[in-house]
Amino acid sequence: MASKSLKNLTAPLSGNNPVIVQILGICSALAVTVQLKPAVVMGLSVMVVTAFANLVMSMLRKGVPSRIRIIVQLVVIASLVILVDQVLKAFVYDVSKQLSVYVGLIITNCIVMGRVEAFALQNNPWDSFLDGLGNGAGYGLILVIVAFFRELLGSGSLFGYPIFEKLGLYELGYANCGLMLFPPMALIIVGCIIWAHRSFNKDLQEK
Amino acid sequence: MKFNTNSNVYIIIYSVVMVVIVAVLLSLAALGLKERQNENILNEKKTQIVKALGYDAATVQYKDVVAEAALLDAEGATVNNDVAKVFEALQDVKGSREAGLFPIFKATDGSVVVPLYGAGLWGPIWGYIALASDMNTVKGIVLDHSGETPGLGAEITTAKHQAMYVGKTVFDGEDLVGITLKKGGAAEGAMHEVDAITGGTKTSDGVSAMIKDCLVSYKPYFAAVKATAEQQVSNELNTENNGK
Repeated sequence: MASKSLKNLTAPLSGNNPVIVQILGICSALAVTVQLKPAVVMGLSVMVVTAFANLVMSMLRKGVPSRIRIIVQLVVIASLVILVDQVLKAFVYDVSKQLSVYVGLIITNCIVMGRVEAFALQNNPWDSFLDGLGNGAGYGLILVIVAFFRELLGSGSLFGYPIFEKLGLYELGYANCGLMLFPPMALIIVGCIIWAHRSFNKDLQEK
Repeated sequence: MKFNTNSNVYIIIYSVVMVVIVAVLLSLAALGLKERQNENILNEKKTQIVKALGYDAATVQYKDVVAEAALLDAEGATVNNDVAKVFEALQDVKGSREAGLFPIFKATDGSVVVPLYGAGLWGPIWGYIALASDMNTVKGIVLDHSGETPGLGAEITTAKHQAMYVGKTVFDGEDLVGITLKKGGAAEGAMHEVDAITGGTKTSDGVSAMIKDCLVSYKPYFAAVKATAEQQVSNELNTENNGK
C-alpha cells in the first residue's frame, strides 16, 4: 500500500478527526454513547457507510451529472444506511433496538456526505474507500471513548459487565453519576477530548 | 463516445436507472433478511413472556413453560388458539384490542401472561404481566419502552423496578384496581401499590394506567377461571364429604 493512500486511512484517526477536529457528526455522538456496545456497533455501521458511499460515489464520479450530484449522493448513502439497518435488525436485533432511529439518521450524518462531496468526487475509488474507512473509524473511535466514560461513570459497567459492583465500590459508598447518562455530558466529554487532543497537537491550536 | 452529462435527457435516464437499481437491491435485501428479522422479533416476545413468568430466559425455553396461547373475545371465550395468529396479534396489541381480540398465554402451572400496551411520557410503553393461577397475584412483569428518558422513565425496564411488582395483587375484592405506581413510595403493606420512579412521574402514571386498562379487558376471563377453580374446590369438598 502506498504511503499516500495509507495516509487517507490514518489521518482522520487523529490529526484530521471528523468529530474532534472537523466537529462533524456530534449529534449522534451524543445520542448513542450511553453504553459501549451500541457505540461500537454505531461506529462500525458508520464506517461501513462512509467507506462504501465513498467507494460507490468515486466509481460513479465521472458519470454523475453535476447538477443532480447531491441527490445521487443521498440515494447512494440512504440505500447503504437502509442495508445496514436491515442487516443489524437481522443479526444483532437487541443492539439495533437500542440504536433505534440513530441508524436511520446516519443518512444525515454530516461526515458521510461531507467526505463524499469533499473527497470521493475528486479521488480514485481505492483512496476514497480508505478515506471513508478512516473517517468512519475516527468517528467510531471518539464514540467508543465517550461511551467508555459514560457507561463506566454513569452505570458502573463496561459492555454491560457490572465492573464497579464486582470491585465492591458500592459498599464503600460510591454512587453512579446519573448525570453521565444525559446527552450534555457527552458534549462535555467530547470537549475534554478536544482539549486533551489539542494540547498534544500544537498545530491544531487556533492563534 | 462522450456524453454530455448535463443534458436533460442524460439526467433523466441516469436518475431512472439509478432508482431502479437501488429499488431492486433494497427489495432483495429486505426480502432476504425478512425471515431472520421476524424470527428475532418472535424470539424477543417469547423471551419476554418467559421472563414475565419469573423464569430466567437464558435457561428456560418458551415451549417448556407456556402450555397454550389464545386469543380471547370481550366475553373471555377463546376465539382462536393458533400460536401463529396469537403472535401476529402481539405485533399490534393496540389494534387487536380495538378489534376485540385479546391475546393471552396460559402457562403450564395455571398462571397466565397478558400483554400490556400503553403510553409513557415520550412514546409507547409495553410489556407483559403474569398473574398466578388465582388470577390476582402478580407473578412477574416485564416492561419496555421506546423512548423514555434514560435514568428516569427508562428505569421501568430495570430488574429492580420490576421485582417490586411480584406478589402484589390486582383485585381489591371484586374490583380490578391494577397496580399503582405511587409517587413518594408505596405505603407499607399496600397490596396494589409499588414505588413510582423519582423523576419519572409521567412514565409511572403511564404504567399504572396501562396495567389497569389492559387487565380490564380480561376481567370476564379471570372471573370464569376463578369460578371454575371455586367449583372445583367445592366439588372436591363435596366428594370428601360424600366419602365420609
